[in-house]
Amino acid sequence: MADYDVIVIGAGNGGLTAAAGLARRGAKVLLLERHNIPGGAATSFCRGRFEFEVALHQLSGLGSPEKPGLLRLGLQKLGVLDELEFVEISDLYNVMTADGFRLTLKTDRDQVLATLQEAFPAERTALAAYFDLLAKFAENMIGAFIFRDPEPSREKYPQLYAHALRTARDVLDEYFSDPMLKAVLSVYWGYLGVPPTKMAFTYLAMVFFQYCEFKPYHIKGGSQALSNAILNTFISNGGQVRFNCGAEHITVSDGTVRSVITESGEEITARQVVANASPVTVYTQLIDRRHVPQEVLTELKGRRLSTSAFTLYIGFDSEPADLGITASTNFLMATTDISDGIVDRMQRLDITDEPVVLSCYDVSDPGFSPPGTCQANVVTLKYGEPWLRIPPESYNDVKYRCADGMLQRVEEIFPGARARIEEIEVGTPLTHMRYLGHPAGSIYGFEQLTKDSLFFQPGRHSPIDGLTFVGGWSGDCGFEPTLNSGLAAAKSIIKKL
Amino acid sequence: MRPGIWQEFDGYDDIAAEIEVSRRINPAYVAEREAIAQYIDRLHPKELRLQVADIITETDSAKTLRLVAEEGYLPPFQAGQYICLFLEAGGIRTARPYSISSQPTQRGYYDITVKRVADGRVSNHLLDEIHRGGTLVSSGPAGNFYFNPLIHRKSMVCLAGGSGITPFMSMIRQIVSCGLERSIHLLYGNKSLDDVIFHDELVDLSRRFENFQYTPVIEAPTAAYTGACGVMTGELIRDVVANVDDKSFFICGPGRMYDFCLPELEGLGVPRRRIRREMYGAPENIWEFEGWPRGLDKDHVFAVKLADGRTMNAAAGESVLMALERHGVVVPSLCRSGECSMCRIKLASGKVFQPPGVPVRKSDRRYGWVHSCTAYPISDLEVLI
Repeated sequence: MADYDVIVIGAGNGGLTAAAGLARRGAKVLLLERHNIPGGAATSFCRGRFEFEVALHQLSGLGSPEKPGLLRLGLQKLGVLDELEFVEISDLYNVMTADGFRLTLKTDRDQVLATLQEAFPAERTALAAYFDLLAKFAENMIGAFIFRDPEPSREKYPQLYAHALRTARDVLDEYFSDPMLKAVLSVYWGYLGVPPTKMAFTYLAMVFFQYCEFKPYHIKGGSQALSNAILNTFISNGGQVRFNCGAEHITVSDGTVRSVITESGEEITARQVVANASPVTVYTQLIDRRHVPQEVLTELKGRRLSTSAFTLYIGFDSEPADLGITASTNFLMATTDISDGIVDRMQRLDITDEPVVLSCYDVSDPGFSPPGTCQANVVTLKYGEPWLRIPPESYNDVKYRCADGMLQRVEEIFPGARARIEEIEVGTPLTHMRYLGHPAGSIYGFEQLTKDSLFFQPGRHSPIDGLTFVGGWSGDCGFEPTLNSGLAAAKSIIKKL
Repeated sequence: MRPGIWQEFDGYDDIAAEIEVSRRINPAYVAEREAIAQYIDRLHPKELRLQVADIITETDSAKTLRLVAEEGYLPPFQAGQYICLFLEAGGIRTARPYSISSQPTQRGYYDITVKRVADGRVSNHLLDEIHRGGTLVSSGPAGNFYFNPLIHRKSMVCLAGGSGITPFMSMIRQIVSCGLERSIHLLYGNKSLDDVIFHDELVDLSRRFENFQYTPVIEAPTAAYTGACGVMTGELIRDVVANVDDKSFFICGPGRMYDFCLPELEGLGVPRRRIRREMYGAPENIWEFEGWPRGLDKDHVFAVKLADGRTMNAAAGESVLMALERHGVVVPSLCRSGECSMCRIKLASGKVFQPPGVPVRKSDRRYGWVHSCTAYPISDLEVLI
C-alpha cells in the first residue's frame, strides 16, 4: 500500500499552495485532483483562438516589489513569484448604466474621493467623513489582527469595535442619502456574494483598503499560469500528483485520519489529510458518519451554501477600445437597488436588471488575447438551486435564454459589441456544480452573512486528528485568501509530521 | 466558536443569537452531493452503456449504428455534438469520437455513422466486428460544433466532406422535423457519387423543404453526372449561396478540406466570427506539416519513458496518445483532435511536434503539458500522466 506523509484532496488554490508548501519543506505529499488540470476555479479553457480566464477578476494582496502585500511574500517563499508576470490594473472599477451614467474610479484613494465628490457634490462632506472612517477602520484592523495586538481595547480601536459587525448597508445609510452613490460604493459586494444588507461592513472597508493600498492585479497567462506554476514547484520538490483521480473515502479510526481511498478503489495511507473539498462533502460523504463528531454537524448546520454564478466568456474580434471598453473592471448597473431585492434577483433564473460585472483583461494586458481581439468575462451571481429544477432536455434553451438577457445588457452599454462576437461560452451554476463539484455550485464556499464573516468562520481545523481544511470553505473566498489558506496550513502541518 | 475580541464588538450579542438560531432551525446537510451528482449525470454522464439496436447500410463503405441506452436514458445533446466510444480494437484499448447523426429531439436512440478508412483499426472493428445486440461504452455527448443561437445567423452554409456529413445530418434533420425558422444550404464533397452518404435522404429533404438546399460536389464524376464537380472553391460557394453576408459557415471534413476551404471563404470576405469548424480527428500525415523536423522519418522510433519506469517505443509519425495505448497505457481522451485537452500529459523531458492551431493553454506550453492526441515524438521522451 502506498504511503505518504500528507494527502491533499483537490488542486484548487488552497490545495495547491498547501501541497507545494509541504513538499518544499520536505514532506512526502500526494495531491489528488478529480479533474485533469490543476487550479479548480483558477483555470482557463480554450475556444477557437481564445484562452478564456475562468475566475480571476482583480487579484488582491499582491502589492509591488517595493511595497509587497502578504500574497507576494507568500508566493515568493513558495518559489513561484519569479515564474509569473503580474500586470497592475490602473482602475478600481468603472460603473456604467444604460442611460449614460459613467464613473471611473482609479486606484488612488485620494483620487477616488475627489472623483466621487465631483460626481456627488451634495455628499461632499459625507464622503470625506466616510473615507476617513474607511482609513481608520483599516488601521484598526491591521493593528488588532495583522499585528496581533496582545492588549486590544475599544479605546485603541474605536472604529473597529463600533462598526465591524454592522452591515455595509447600515453604514452607507448612516453616511449618505443619494441612492446612486450608495450603489456605486457597494459594488464590491459581488466579490463576496452577499448583498450590502447582509454583508459585514468589515469586508467592504477591507476590500477598498486592499485594492487602494496594494492595487488590483492581473496575471499574464491568467490564473491558469499561477496554478501551473505552483504545481510545477510542487512536482520539482518531489510531490506526486494524480489527475483524473477523485477521493472517494477518508478512513478514520480513533478520531484520527488513516488513509484515503481513491475513486479507483486504491487505499493510500497518510498521517495528515488536507481537504480542499467542502466540509459538507467531507463530513457527509467522505467520512463515515459514526466518526464525525456531533459538534461538527451542528456547526455545519448553521451555515448556508453561497451563491453560484452565471458567466459569459466572450471572445470579440475587436480591440477593447473599438467596443467602447475603456476599463478592466466594469459594473453594469440597471438599478440602484442595494436592498434584499438583490437576493430575489439571485434566486431567479432570468437576467433582466441584475448587477453585472464585465471584466476585460486586455485593457491592462493588451497581449492577453490574440492581436485585434479581446475577451470579456461577464458575470452575475445566481443561486444554483433553481437550475436543478430545469428538466435536463430544457437546459440548453434556458441557458441560451438567460445568456441572451445578459447580452442585451452588454449591448445596451456597448452598442454593436454583440455583432463582433467570435466565440462565446456560457457557464451556468450547473457548470460550476459539474467542474467544481461544490454543493449547489457555490463559488464562495459558505454564505458570508455578517454572522459568518471572518470572525466566525469554520477555520481550517477539524476535531478529527490529522484533518485540515483549506480553500474558500474554511475562511474567506477569493484568490488571495484561498492561496494564503494553503500556505498557512502547510506551515502548521509540517510541525505535526 | 473561537473566543476573541469580537465578542466585545457592538452588535455581538445579536450575532451570537443569530448563530444559535441558525444552528437550531436550518435543515441538516443530507446527501447534497448525491442530488447534484444525479442531476449532472443526466446532462453529462461519465459513461454511457449502449446497445446496438440496428445496423443500417448507407453505402458500400459506411454503416449507421443505431445505439440505445442499456439503462434506458440518453442525455440531451445539441445537433453537431459527438460521443466518444471507449473500446478495444485489435487488442488495443482506445477511444474514438463519432458525431451523432440522428436528430436531438428524439432521444430513443443515437445514430452514429461509421465510414471505412484504410488501416482504420476502429472503423473496421465497428463495421466488421460489431453486430446487432452488441454493446458499446461511450462518453456523454460533447463538443463545441453546434448552432449557437446567441451569435450564429439563422441562415447556415454547411461544407461537409466524406464522413464529415454526420454532424450536419443531425442539424438538418432537426431543422426540418421541428419546423425551425432556420435554413441550411449543404455543400457536400465526395470522391464519387457512390461515396455520398445519405444522398437519397438529402435529395428527398431538399425537395420537400424550402429551408434546406443540397449541393453535392463530386471530385471525380462519371461522364453522365451533371451536378457540381471538383472541389469547393469560393466561386462555387458564391454561385450556390448567392449572398454570403447574412450567413454563418460551418465546416466539417478531412484536414485538407480546411486547408482549402478556409482561404476560399476568407477570399469571399467572410469574417472569422462567421466560420465555425469542427476539429475532426488528428491531422493525417503529420510529417508533411510545415515545421516538421527536416529529415526526420515518420517511422523513426523513439523511447517513451513513464514515471513508473516503464519504457516503450513510439514512432515519430504516431501521436504519443496512440503509442501509449499500443502499450496498454490508457490516458483519458475525448475529442482526440487536440481541442478538448482531456488527454493532457506532461513532458518531463524531450520534445514533441505539435501541429499549428492546436489550442493548448499558454501556461501549459510553458510547463511542458501537451495534448497527447496531437503531440508527436521527435526525441526520446519522459512523460508524466
